[in-house]
Amino acid sequence: MGTSVQVTPLCGVYNENPLSYLVSIDGFNFLVDCGWNDHFDPSHLQPLARVASTIDAVLLSHADTLHLGALPYAMKRLGLSAPVYSTEPVYRLGLLTMYDQYLSRKQVSEFDLFTLDDIDSAFQSVTRLTYSQNHHFSGKGEGIVIAPHVAGHLLGGTIWKITKDGEDVIYAVDFNHRKERHLNGTVLGSFVRPAVLITDAYNALNNQPYRRQNDKEFGDILKKTLRAGGNVLLPVDTVGRVLELILMLELYWADENLNYPIYFLTYVASSTIDYVKSFLEWMSDTIAKSFEKTRENIFLLKYVTLLINKTELDNAPDGPKVVLASMASLEAGFSHDIFVEWANDVKNLVLFTERGQFATLARMLQADPPPKAVKVVVSKRVPLVGEELIAYEEEQNRIKKEALKASLMKEEELKTSHGADNDISDPMVIDSGNNHVPPEVTGPRGGGYRDIFIDGFVPPSTSVAPIFPCYENTSEWDDFGEVINPDDYVIKDEDMDQTAMHGGSDINGKLDEGAASLILDTKPSKVVSDERTVQVRCSLVYMDFEGRSDGRSIKNILSHVAPLKLVLVHGSAEATEHLKQHCLKHVCPHVYAPQIEETIDVTSDLCAYKVQLSEKLMSNVLFKKLGDYEIAWVDAVVGKTENDPLSLLPVSGAAPPHKSVLVGDLKLADIKQFLSSKGVQVEFAGGALRCGEYVTLRKVGDASQKGGGSGAQQIVIEGPLCEDYYKIRDYLYSQFYLL
Amino acid sequence: MMDCGVKRRESVREEDDEVMIVTPLGAGNEVGRSCVYMSYKGKSILFDCGIHLGFSGMSALPYFDEIDPSTLDVLLITHFHLDHAASLPYFLEKTTFRGRVFMTYATKAIYKLLLSDFVKVSKVSVEDMLFDEQDINRSMDKIEVIDFHQTVEVNGIRFWCYAAGHVLGAAMFMVDIAGVRVLYTGDYSREEDRHLRAAEIPQFSPDVCIIESTYGVQHHQPRHTREKRFTDVIHSTISQGGRVLIPAYALGRAQELLLILDEYWANHPELHNIPIYYASPLAKKCLTVYETYTLSMNDRVQNAKSNPFSFKHISALSSIEVFKDVGPSVVMASPGGLQSGLSRQLFDKWCSDKKNTCVLPGFVVEGTLAKTIMTEPKEVTLMNGLSAPLNMQVHYISFSAHADSAQTSAFLEELNPPNIILVHGEANQMGRLKQKLTSQFADRNTKILTPKNCQSVEMHFNSQKMAKTIGRLAEKTPEVGETVSGLLVKKGFTYQIMAPDDLHVFSQLSTTNITQRITVPYSGAFSFIQHRLKRIYESVEQSVDEESGVPELQVHECVTVKHEAEKHISLHWTSDPISDMVSDSIVALILNINRDVPKIMAESDVIKIEEENKKKAEKVMHALLVSLFGDVKAGENGKLIINIDGNVAVLNKESGEVESENEGLKERVRAAFQRIQSSVKPIPLSAP
Repeated sequence: MGTSVQVTPLCGVYNENPLSYLVSIDGFNFLVDCGWNDHFDPSHLQPLARVASTIDAVLLSHADTLHLGALPYAMKRLGLSAPVYSTEPVYRLGLLTMYDQYLSRKQVSEFDLFTLDDIDSAFQSVTRLTYSQNHHFSGKGEGIVIAPHVAGHLLGGTIWKITKDGEDVIYAVDFNHRKERHLNGTVLGSFVRPAVLITDAYNALNNQPYRRQNDKEFGDILKKTLRAGGNVLLPVDTVGRVLELILMLELYWADENLNYPIYFLTYVASSTIDYVKSFLEWMSDTIAKSFEKTRENIFLLKYVTLLINKTELDNAPDGPKVVLASMASLEAGFSHDIFVEWANDVKNLVLFTERGQFATLARMLQADPPPKAVKVVVSKRVPLVGEELIAYEEEQNRIKKEALKASLMKEEELKTSHGADNDISDPMVIDSGNNHVPPEVTGPRGGGYRDIFIDGFVPPSTSVAPIFPCYENTSEWDDFGEVINPDDYVIKDEDMDQTAMHGGSDINGKLDEGAASLILDTKPSKVVSDERTVQVRCSLVYMDFEGRSDGRSIKNILSHVAPLKLVLVHGSAEATEHLKQHCLKHVCPHVYAPQIEETIDVTSDLCAYKVQLSEKLMSNVLFKKLGDYEIAWVDAVVGKTENDPLSLLPVSGAAPPHKSVLVGDLKLADIKQFLSSKGVQVEFAGGALRCGEYVTLRKVGDASQKGGGSGAQQIVIEGPLCEDYYKIRDYLYSQFYLL
Repeated sequence: MMDCGVKRRESVREEDDEVMIVTPLGAGNEVGRSCVYMSYKGKSILFDCGIHLGFSGMSALPYFDEIDPSTLDVLLITHFHLDHAASLPYFLEKTTFRGRVFMTYATKAIYKLLLSDFVKVSKVSVEDMLFDEQDINRSMDKIEVIDFHQTVEVNGIRFWCYAAGHVLGAAMFMVDIAGVRVLYTGDYSREEDRHLRAAEIPQFSPDVCIIESTYGVQHHQPRHTREKRFTDVIHSTISQGGRVLIPAYALGRAQELLLILDEYWANHPELHNIPIYYASPLAKKCLTVYETYTLSMNDRVQNAKSNPFSFKHISALSSIEVFKDVGPSVVMASPGGLQSGLSRQLFDKWCSDKKNTCVLPGFVVEGTLAKTIMTEPKEVTLMNGLSAPLNMQVHYISFSAHADSAQTSAFLEELNPPNIILVHGEANQMGRLKQKLTSQFADRNTKILTPKNCQSVEMHFNSQKMAKTIGRLAEKTPEVGETVSGLLVKKGFTYQIMAPDDLHVFSQLSTTNITQRITVPYSGAFSFIQHRLKRIYESVEQSVDEESGVPELQVHECVTVKHEAEKHISLHWTSDPISDMVSDSIVALILNINRDVPKIMAESDVIKIEEENKKKAEKVMHALLVSLFGDVKAGENGKLIINIDGNVAVLNKESGEVESENEGLKERVRAAFQRIQSSVKPIPLSAP
């Protein structure tokens, strides 16, 4: 048997929930993607919690919340402690995604699932790899090699190839075969016959319009809205598809000579663009070539202004504007606040460029027909003022007093105990006339005292033993105990501030100044929530700029890759079932769509053993060259070597005859062209190729059925006995090698 | 073109694929025109493609005549310096090279700027010009980019690269052909500096290490020491009201020095009024490349709060006309050799003032003014031909980013390659380094070689060819002595053995079955064909087609003959050589029948003809035996008696047994009889 492989979904099958899958290869456990949704619902992570401690390595494929959002929480609370692997952009931009999520959530709730420090800790364990870099494991993972490859959906987005003993396990979700302005298309099609392919059905039922048409409509609808005096809100993810949108806008504004301001607003917007400027190697060939010629970085933006807080947007000049703001789900972040403000104006436009996450406000607004009104919770963190601030400060003082009183009471108890010791010594009386002293009571002390008394003087017979000094506690007391002066402890507040300052500066990634000040702002504040009904009078438009291959293309790519076994994840139930049935017919006979926590064993049926090809054998082999391959027939006898592997030697005597093998792949269109070039009159007629006057060439059987059946191509040539028949047959034979 | 005494051994290469040949075409016992040729197992690779700055025209090129460029698979360029990359436009545009060229992103971006500048600045005659701007632009279209650690495969050659330090984008290439690994370092530095990582240590040891030996057995000063000297000299000079001139080449070290100065100024507010200029249009153009490709730099740059190449205390200076020389200043100007340009103009202006300082920060080329002033002569000759006293201080502070002796030793100790080839060093320096390494590796079987230009090094590697048997053939591991037959499929240097049915499963190839159907006119009785076929083929099975109900014959188990219509017969078979032959013979038979027997024959005639044919066979047999042996008589019980010179043999016609006292005669008669039988009897299925 070959390498043992099992796949267990932990989240994200038969639905669009976050992606998280356990892939075991010969007992080495990969967690592929560690996603969460914008709700940060812990119930999604229970399957992960059950296996987190068994994970040996984490592979991240994309920098958005759905693929890596659970990493800080899983490492902090679920016991996940494995090394993490990703590309450089997924690492950097993933960090920014989580910062933006944390800061957005903190503004609208007492968010406590993870902190900025937890984010930093989680990402510190990331090893960054380059596309096509082979990383070899050692120890438990000995023999396993991983390599990231281009997925084409987000910057640095990854298809993971995991290889052991020549067998490939490919994890390819959210890929895009189309080349875009800032990204090359995926290289998934270059993998052929992997042992296992894990892919998603998210877009299986979705077909996209032609891109040029889509781009034009995008620009036109913006222009129309702006010229009518309306604002445009594009809800976007922090670091994902917004990059392509920004480039589209820069290009469109330049072409159309538009002056309307464009703002990109997240808590980490300027850091995002700073990092992206240095990721040119990860972008499309076009961008790299353009930079080589002009040395102009395409992300030195001319029309888009970067903002990191909403005050700057509120202070912007009046007039129509375009705002790209996070989060795409509208559940939190600046996009949520802007939507609430702008939804009431019929002139405004909310333009969705990707499907909203399930059960989010964005998804609700994308319904057809859209709702006329939505209930939203508007939450805001506000500083405490007036009586509330006084009450807060009094409460803080009271808490401090209580804490201090508790510690002082403890001290008092200690003193009381000490006082008891003093009391014990009070009854001590030394009777100078009594020679017999009870040893268990007074022996040691008596002895000590005796020495002192004897040295220099004789006590009077009527005196008592000396008493140690005891100072009366003169502290001021009231009904609650000792009165505390708060000024004595003011320095602790300063210490706390210093600690916060230090923590802020420790953050590995770059936080924008506004966000940093938000972290360090220790002014008392609270979250004020107000549920209100928002009238949706603005226009709501959805256009697909998700950067994923559509259903038609997915099927073509899967047919080309032709895996031996296929595992489908992450798609609606209908999409999953549809793609499964299609692939069973056209791609391969082993198609699985496991349920949550259902383990699918996709261990290869492949049997294999290694042999050494002896020089004697190879000197007789005549290879025929076919594309990248060279192929020959061999007849060999198994011999023995000093070491473990078997050796193949030539057979003695004449080799037995073998059934002839015709090797090659014929396309009727190609043979048609070939025969034409040889002067034969050819034309297609009723699905067959008519050659000359009487001879017919035909292909039979389902060519696309690569997995099932014998797999050999079936060609039929027929005609009457004539010279043409043998001539055309010779031409046909010349397209193949006979072994 | 100089004629090299040693030629490559073509015959050896053809005879033995296990020999690796490494030949420096440049940088062999010299510094300049780096170019190393390597071939192994029919694959050939060129590392670097530089020029020698000490020569001009064709003589500055590597010795390309030693190789046939059209046979090269891959050309790998390590970094943008002229002595490693400047022959590339010539090589790509004016030779027969058709392979693929790779370099890193930053190298490609700067290569174009650097070579365009080189073409403009080089004042050489037209005959000596090797390439022009168009050649450079066309070469850009042919260059492919590779990222650090990215694995690329071309024609079975796998290669990837590591960060080399040295300059932005500099790479060390590891090449893997059939499991044998070669590491070519190019220029590398094992010391991290302000913006570059130290050269990485590969995870796997190479079998061959082709390594630079620029500094031989010399040692560099520690980085901190030289930086302190640098800033101290500058600080004291400007404190005394003097000016500082730093002649530097535009790319590589200049950026590092600017980072040091910008940081030093930031930490010393008292210096903020003293301007720092860099006077190099090329450096200014390349600044955006440095600002952008920070992923190729060290963590310090990547994690910085702002881009360190956005200098805060340094500005560009375009020409001496706009330079307001009104007080202390620091000017970094090119070229580094002071032979021309702005650095020379400032030198002429400042060299006579003892308050001023000239800091030489790197390798100084022999024969240049910069080299001359290192010896502190009393006078120098100005550009205008006049003499002037050299009163300014001259300091040489090496910021070279080449590995020194200690770094090379440590690097090789960690790699521990069995074969070390030293390149890119002067002969004496290289010889000393070789001695040092020979001592270091004395207890190991390590070869250390220092080939001259055009001198080939041959190394042998015993690489066993391993194959993986997969699919149906591998369902049971065979015992010694068992046979294994199947398709041997090779891709790159990977071999697999599989059954034909598995070919489409484990490769992109597939097998094809061709079914043939041919119709032949025939109006006679179908049974007559059957009768005639049975005389030729032993296996002729009669049956009825299940679908159409027409009679059919299965001949030799491979061709089906059907009587589909009154006036023609159809033949069906799957293509293979034997089936094609059988079908051809059937067609010939039918055509013969058509010609010899035009009328329709009755069923009863078939039996009669069969009897006649049997008699004919016996007559033929008898006639053949007579022609061979002479005296043949019919004996008792159907036996034949053969008599030759008194020796008698008795042949049993039914069984083929021969009785004779003479063994030779017996054998001859038996063999002859067997051959005659095979000629007149039907062909059996399994012919010997």
